[in-house]
Amino acid sequence: MPSTGSNSSVQEADVPDGGAGVDVIVGLTSHNDVGTVGAVVRALQDGLARYAASSAVRFVLADAGSTDGTREAVREAVGPSALVEVESGRGAELGEPPYHGQHGREAALRAIIETTHRLGARACTVIDARLQSVEPEWIDRLLVPVLADGFDYVSPYYARPVAEGAITKGIVYPMFRALYGVRLRQPAAGEFGCSGRLAAHYLEQDFWDAEFAPVGIDLWLAVAAACGEFRSCEAVLGTRGAVSRGAPTDLSTTLKQVVGSLFADLERRVDVWQRVRGSRAIPIRGAVGGMDPQAPTVNVDGLMESFRLGYRELREIWTWVLPPRSIVELRTLTETAAERFRFDDRLWAGIVYDFAVGYSLRVMPRDHLLRSLTPLYSGWLASFVLQMEGASLQGIEERVERVCLAFESEKRHLISRWRWPERLR
Amino acid sequence: MWAEIDQILRQATRQIADHVASFLPGVLVALVLILATVVAAALVRALLGRALRGLEFDRHADHLGLAVLLGWPSSTTSPSQTLTRVVYWTVVVLGLLLSLTALNATIPSRFALSVFQYLPNLLAALMILVVGAIAARFLSRSVLIGAVNMQIRSARLLSLAVRWLVLLIAVAMALDHLSIGRNVLLLAFGILFGGIVLAAALAVGLGARDAVSRALERQLQEPPRGDDEVNHV
Repeated sequence: MPSTGSNSSVQEADVPDGGAGVDVIVGLTSHNDVGTVGAVVRALQDGLARYAASSAVRFVLADAGSTDGTREAVREAVGPSALVEVESGRGAELGEPPYHGQHGREAALRAIIETTHRLGARACTVIDARLQSVEPEWIDRLLVPVLADGFDYVSPYYARPVAEGAITKGIVYPMFRALYGVRLRQPAAGEFGCSGRLAAHYLEQDFWDAEFAPVGIDLWLAVAAACGEFRSCEAVLGTRGAVSRGAPTDLSTTLKQVVGSLFADLERRVDVWQRVRGSRAIPIRGAVGGMDPQAPTVNVDGLMESFRLGYRELREIWTWVLPPRSIVELRTLTETAAERFRFDDRLWAGIVYDFAVGYSLRVMPRDHLLRSLTPLYSGWLASFVLQMEGASLQGIEERVERVCLAFESEKRHLISRWRWPERLR
Repeated sequence: MWAEIDQILRQATRQIADHVASFLPGVLVALVLILATVVAAALVRALLGRALRGLEFDRHADHLGLAVLLGWPSSTTSPSQTLTRVVYWTVVVLGLLLSLTALNATIPSRFALSVFQYLPNLLAALMILVVGAIAARFLSRSVLIGAVNMQIRSARLLSLAVRWLVLLIAVAMALDHLSIGRNVLLLAFGILFGGIVLAAALAVGLGARDAVSRALERQLQEPPRGDDEVNHV
């Protein structure tokens, strides 16, 4: 059994044919996904036959210990000559579950990327086996830009209703864009395409064993691509439909995991983001228009009530990280009627940045700090949903763009607070 | 006869003079020790005060929940001032006890020795109180944030209950360590906790039986609330 040469908890199976002359790696991450994995593999095979027929392809299955026959289903669908199996560690299942439902995801991605690098593949794409919405065109969108157009990183661009992916719309994308200067709309998505050159760069990163790696690895891979000399683009993949793995994590835990991994990366790349000014658009592969996603129901009254309760009970905790001006603005907001409830973009950007500084300074246990953000996020989400009622995808994009501009505008305050935190005390 | 009286008086005077002569050096040493103690205590207070200011002790104490233990901010003194005063007077008292032993008197020496032997217990009790205060702060804040995120309206009440429960346990443990009112304490705690648990059980069992039943049914049967159906990432 060849060694991966890494310290990840990955056990690798034999590589058929020695892996010579492989052009493309299609990585599948799975955990008890027997219900969907067959359709995913068939769609990808169709896509490969249509859009990458001349390329030598290997499927790499990184399974987190499935017991429902997922592996057997993949073996049957792919065939032994085209399949490399890597077993990713299941991770600490005793702790809180990751928001994406896959324990040991960082080990799975590492194993796929290591296999890509070792086999000398030109391109790699990673797909979650629980997805229901995989189409053959995904190969055209995620792999062809790398194989034919010289891109190094392809990020998915899903059509999402107002409240869907609101943490990404309200925190991750605006902050990622303001910090690293690249307009990747969904940097924390679980699917992506990358070049062999970028795969080698990923393996040199030191984040694989970091604290938030199991939940933040997807975001950190996007950050690594944005911070290096790599060409990135987005690929329109339609809507993202996925089968849930177990019970979904509660909002507070999800927020803690996603925002925590974003803040953790902030500390790691101080020398990069403090020098970035503005942001640049990147090419999009595929047509954005014409998508009409169905909106899920959102309890706006419940979100506003959560915000008001949070202000009443957690205001004292917020004062440790937020300046008095923000607290006053929040108080005004709690007294505003539902029909006029609007969370100012500048205020929101300032709050997120202040929490990032508080996280870095460890003003209180980080778990407490991140979880105390939940009512504020609920308030922002309520305002966002109220403003976007009946809006088209274009309307949502324009609104998110204004949020992003506020984050870019407030970045100078983040830099000054980061450099001279004692001035704020 | 007068000669005998004179001899006895001389002998007594000599003995007193001898005793005073043998006692005086001890007194002098004791006085020097007291003086040195006061100087050392003042020095320690100044240095400690400066170090605590440099370490921003007041801010950290507030964050860790030690402010409650040190009686701040309800009193006019800050945690660092309280601590420096405690250290100052501890050094002074220890110095005084040390100076007593220099007098070579049996009872003061025994007293000083017993105080020194009791000192580790005092320090251990203090440590228990400090750890208890930190744990109370941490747990009460965890409960407060968790309850608010679960939209429980009495979040503050729950948080306060946890805080005082932990503090009470810490105080009881500290007193037990100091061997103060051990039996009374044990009884009081048994009655208090037994009473709380019984009251809670009766309240839930009799007063809120239907509400608990409905809540359990909701937990077991209903899907998550509307806002949780959304994929936030």
